[in-house]
Amino acid sequence: MGIFDKLKGNKTEKPRADFSNVQSGSSSTAGEPAIPAPDLSRTTGTTGQEQTYTVVAGDSLSKIAKRFYGDASLWPRLHEANRDQITNPDLIHPGQRLKIPQA
Amino acid sequence: MMTRQSGRTQLSAIVALFLVTAACGGSREAGAPATTAVRVTDVGLGRSVGGDKAITDRTDTFRPNDTIYASVATEGSASSATLRARWTFEDGQVVDESTRTIVPNNRERTEFHISKPNAWPSGKYKLEVFLDNQSVETKDFEVRGS
Repeated sequence: MGIFDKLKGNKTEKPRADFSNVQSGSSSTAGEPAIPAPDLSRTTGTTGQEQTYTVVAGDSLSKIAKRFYGDASLWPRLHEANRDQITNPDLIHPGQRLKIPQA
Repeated sequence: MMTRQSGRTQLSAIVALFLVTAACGGSREAGAPATTAVRVTDVGLGRSVGGDKAITDRTDTFRPNDTIYASVATEGSASSATLRARWTFEDGQVVDESTRTIVPNNRERTEFHISKPNAWPSGKYKLEVFLDNQSVETKDFEVRGS
């Protein structure tokens, strides 16, 4: 490994605030669709047929894929489901809440 | 002879006129997607909302232990519209992102709220509201330590 690789690998980011325990919700005067859409407003857990997962320090898409699907190579499935918040699959941040599609 | 030919011509003209009219009516309808009728008219921030989901005490400065509410007013009707609230901190770190699908009927209000049991870090935050995946409004706010 060259010195540049080492430098790249050791690149430190500004410490990020921890928002992993943020709780959220919503309500409306408007009606809801007859077939309710998945409620993504929960902090974690199963919402309809979709789970959510809050990224913690040290996570990668591969690790999360391994945890939920038992196969790290299925990380593109997570990337695809979360394209609205992941532009670079090598860069996810603690506190990000990811949709976990069913295996 | 004259009468028969002119009758046919008139009939053809009437049929053609009918077809043109029908085609125009059809294309006008097809060119009006239902979602264009819905728009966000107001986004407010505060520490609480009333039964009508409107903010009761608007502010853009919060304390670390506050629950932060956003109230999104919409106008218009549609069979479905999706509102999304994306809350970010300082340089864009995502705090929370919540989505709610509604069936708006004229004037509606939808509230989103976030809380943090062990207090918000002080600093500048931003709320971005999306309607059907289109960013429609942003609001800056601040959390100041007590």
